[in-house]
Amino acid sequence: MAGERTITLEVQRFHPEADEAPYLQPYTIPFSEGTSVLEGLQHIKDRLDGSLTFRWSCRMAVCGSCGCMIDGEPALACRAFLRDYAPGPVRVAPLDHLPIRRDLVVDQSDFLAKLERARTYLIPADERTPADGAYRQTPEEMADYYDYAQCINCLLCYAACPQYGWDQAFTGPAVLALVQRYDLDSRDAGKDARRAVVNADTGVWGCTLVGYCSEVCPKGVDPARAINQRKPASVADYLLGWLRPSGGEGTP
Amino acid sequence: MSRPRTYRPGMRGWWQRHPAYRRYLLREGTSLFLGGYALWLVAGLLCLAAGEAAYGQWRALQGTPWLFGLHLAALMAACYHAVTWLRLLPLTVPVIRLGGRRPSDRALIRGSWGVSVALSAALWLYLGGGWP
Amino acid sequence: MRRSHEPLLWLLFGAGGLLAAWLGPALILFTGILVPIAAERGVTLLGYEAARGLLQGPAGLAAVAVVTLLLFHAAHRIHHTLHDLGLPAGRRTRLGCYGAAVAGGALAAAAVLAL
Ligand code: SF4
Ligand code: FES
Repeated sequence: MAGERTITLEVQRFHPEADEAPYLQPYTIPFSEGTSVLEGLQHIKDRLDGSLTFRWSCRMAVCGSCGCMIDGEPALACRAFLRDYAPGPVRVAPLDHLPIRRDLVVDQSDFLAKLERARTYLIPADERTPADGAYRQTPEEMADYYDYAQCINCLLCYAACPQYGWDQAFTGPAVLALVQRYDLDSRDAGKDARRAVVNADTGVWGCTLVGYCSEVCPKGVDPARAINQRKPASVADYLLGWLRPSGGEGTP
Repeated sequence: MSRPRTYRPGMRGWWQRHPAYRRYLLREGTSLFLGGYALWLVAGLLCLAAGEAAYGQWRALQGTPWLFGLHLAALMAACYHAVTWLRLLPLTVPVIRLGGRRPSDRALIRGSWGVSVALSAALWLYLGGGWP
Repeated sequence: MRRSHEPLLWLLFGAGGLLAAWLGPALILFTGILVPIAAERGVTLLGYEAARGLLQGPAGLAAVAVVTLLLFHAAHRIHHTLHDLGLPAGRRTRLGCYGAAVAGGALAAAAVLAL
């Protein structure tokens, strides 16, 4: 098509078996009003360079697979549009602060291990069977945790957190937000099981409220709020811990 | 199973990566001026306790261009601190209900600015000798 | 997972930060800007007798509390910022920062008690 608009993507490449360190590789591709950065990457992989590696699945900001740094900001590639970066070039790199596996693919194993350790799932107080009927919850009770339940585990917030960049032991924004999501749920009784994760140096106390995580979250989770609204309760646990020998410590 | 080699970019020059990081460092940096000002107040208290001559010297130093400039800088730092602190204040408020509702961020921020105005006015009245 | 002792420091930091946000600008404007400007025009604000009078009783204690909390606020942020800038922040810088705050607070208390 005559007059087709083109843009250059500078994609960060790294193949561990061949490359000592990452480098940028430019690709010039056509785009239209509705072309997402992810579609741009797919165009490159399909037509220009089959060796380019990146993750994606849903193409609609639901699965959380396609997070990367686009012009230095953590973003979902399927939710960012090339028109907003024209005339370019636009730089696409893997998520910051995470180990790079290959090209745009980062290693998520640390995050997944933390998610498991933090027990971010409903721990009910009593054994219930379907015969007992559904849980009941008021709209106000649901509103307490609803925003935090929107997390899609895309890790953009980890790429926006310098404290995680410094110290990978820090539990980090999304996992702590998910802890708060379950702790605030009226159906949940697992607060004690998650307390040790929350109250540790690597828990809420690893956060200095930089706040950038909440700016980049594509789902409006506001992890900075989740973490910091928990600090007063963690202080209370600490002070009570002086009174009760095992108080506030929780089971690890 | 052995893990494939990964690459870690490191944190060198991290504040150059985004303006949000520089705003954060600016916010934290205000503490240098606030701390310095507090130390200067301690010096003033010590001079006050030491006697009229010492206190007079402290007051005279206060008026020199250098210290006046530092106080201007501290004033700007304190204002930036106040704006950022009170803006983030709602994030640190636990989930509570007042009269069945959770207070909105706007209400919390406005309320805390109201406290600021009231306390500042009371302080000025007191220091100016107009109250009590 | 190591239980943190940060809560205590954070409490002091938070109290100091809140006070600094509420009172900092007014306090600095008065003692650091208005007092010298008034002195330039021959008006004495916070003169020797007046300042001693203002710091009698509970007001003196309040002044010590404000100064100490401000120092703790600054100590906490400075220590964390050293770490954030990749500078060596450990036991020694912690001792230096919080130690300075404690020392400053103690000196302020001693001064006010000696008035
Ligand atoms: S909190 Fe937001 S940015 Fe972080 S993983 Fe969840 S959805 Fe992504
Ligand atoms: S592909 Fe699923 S979030 Fe982008």
